[in-house]
Amino acid sequence: MRYLAPGSLKEALDILRREDDARCIAGGATLVAMMNADLVAVDVLVGLGRIAELSGITETDDEVRIGAMTRHAEIAASPVLTGALGVVRSAAGQIAHPAVRNMGTIGGSICHADPAADFPAALLAADATIEAASAEGTRQIPIGEFFEDYFETALREGEIVTAIRLPRGPAGARGHHVKFSRVDGDYATVSVSAVLVMAGATCSYARIALGSSGPVPIRVTAAEEALVGSPLDQAAIAEAARLLAEAADPVDDVRGTTEYRLMLIPRLLARALNTLKDGETASV
Amino acid sequence: MKIEESFTVQAPIDRVWEFITDPEQVGPCLPGCEEIEVLGPTTYKARIKVALGPIKTTFKVDVEVTEERPPEFAASVTRGEEGGKASRVSADSTLALKALDESQTEVTYASDVSVVGRLGKFGLGIMKKKAKSMGEEFAAKFRVRVEGDGARAAEASA
Repeated sequence: MRYLAPGSLKEALDILRREDDARCIAGGATLVAMMNADLVAVDVLVGLGRIAELSGITETDDEVRIGAMTRHAEIAASPVLTGALGVVRSAAGQIAHPAVRNMGTIGGSICHADPAADFPAALLAADATIEAASAEGTRQIPIGEFFEDYFETALREGEIVTAIRLPRGPAGARGHHVKFSRVDGDYATVSVSAVLVMAGATCSYARIALGSSGPVPIRVTAAEEALVGSPLDQAAIAEAARLLAEAADPVDDVRGTTEYRLMLIPRLLARALNTLKDGETASV
Repeated sequence: MKIEESFTVQAPIDRVWEFITDPEQVGPCLPGCEEIEVLGPTTYKARIKVALGPIKTTFKVDVEVTEERPPEFAASVTRGEEGGKASRVSADSTLALKALDESQTEVTYASDVSVVGRLGKFGLGIMKKKAKSMGEEFAAKFRVRVEGDGARAAEASA
């Protein structure tokens, strides 16, 4: 195996174009573990750690831009991820343990596309856009089109995710991510990401995504419609949860049976919505 | 890991039986099947490529048909391993055909698959989902081939 460490994005893209079977490594939190377990064999490993332009969080009036190589820990502590974007900050703070959060990156996490990871659902709830670069140029991929199947994304050969772009969201929005896991630091058995706007006691906006509930994160507009206009009472939450569970297709494994995971959906949805309704900002 | 699925084909049972028990016909319907070699009336070899995200591998398997009751039941044993890697796969499978009427057949297959070695470390939950989606792909290709050929045969004889 050869390890290459380009110093610029352009250099990295050139390597990907030149080399067959090259694989990018971001923080290595997952890929190194998979290589150690002999699950993945790589001929050419392209380390992205030296590319400064891929790191950091910047903001404009309309959006917050998170560089693909930004570590989970930095996202979890970011003072600019407020309001609706609290859903992303809250998810980052719940990924694994501090050691993993100091290594793992948001770009690496979404490119791996593990359906049990926390970022996919949170980014769907936040209506993110994924920016990907290749030797041909840059393109923007709506988050709803990015995840395609278990561990598969819309990313093409030779492309690198450069940033995750997050729109500010509607005025007054708040976001939160809740997960249930067997033990602290484990992958989610089920997770729920929610962004809400309350107008007095009535919900005026809702965007909800389920994680660990199918090959890709799940969003059901009918479930959101069931919440909007309601006071987020038990009946509205139960109806939204029913619609979400109907669309879910969770696996049956060591983290929970399919049936158990479906049972968690209404409970976690209620927990996420009640936290937001009560006006607590997303804190983990 | 137990898998059981069924699907319906618009073709008579005898035709489905003839097709499904012929490795050279059915091979191209198997997702990832790159090569199939008939060794004898009840044994054959196949090379099957499987990919799950970053994990890509090829299994070389030997299949032995252990029981056949035409045109409705067959059982087989599959044993195989990854080329050069340390995983082994084995499966006991059954196939049952049922005529729903003269031109429709229900195909039911069941398989008890075990994977040991490096791939055994990977979540069985997702493997099972993957097997299900491969099964759906198989059913779709199978239908196209059997129904398509059947339609052409009917035209030719008309």
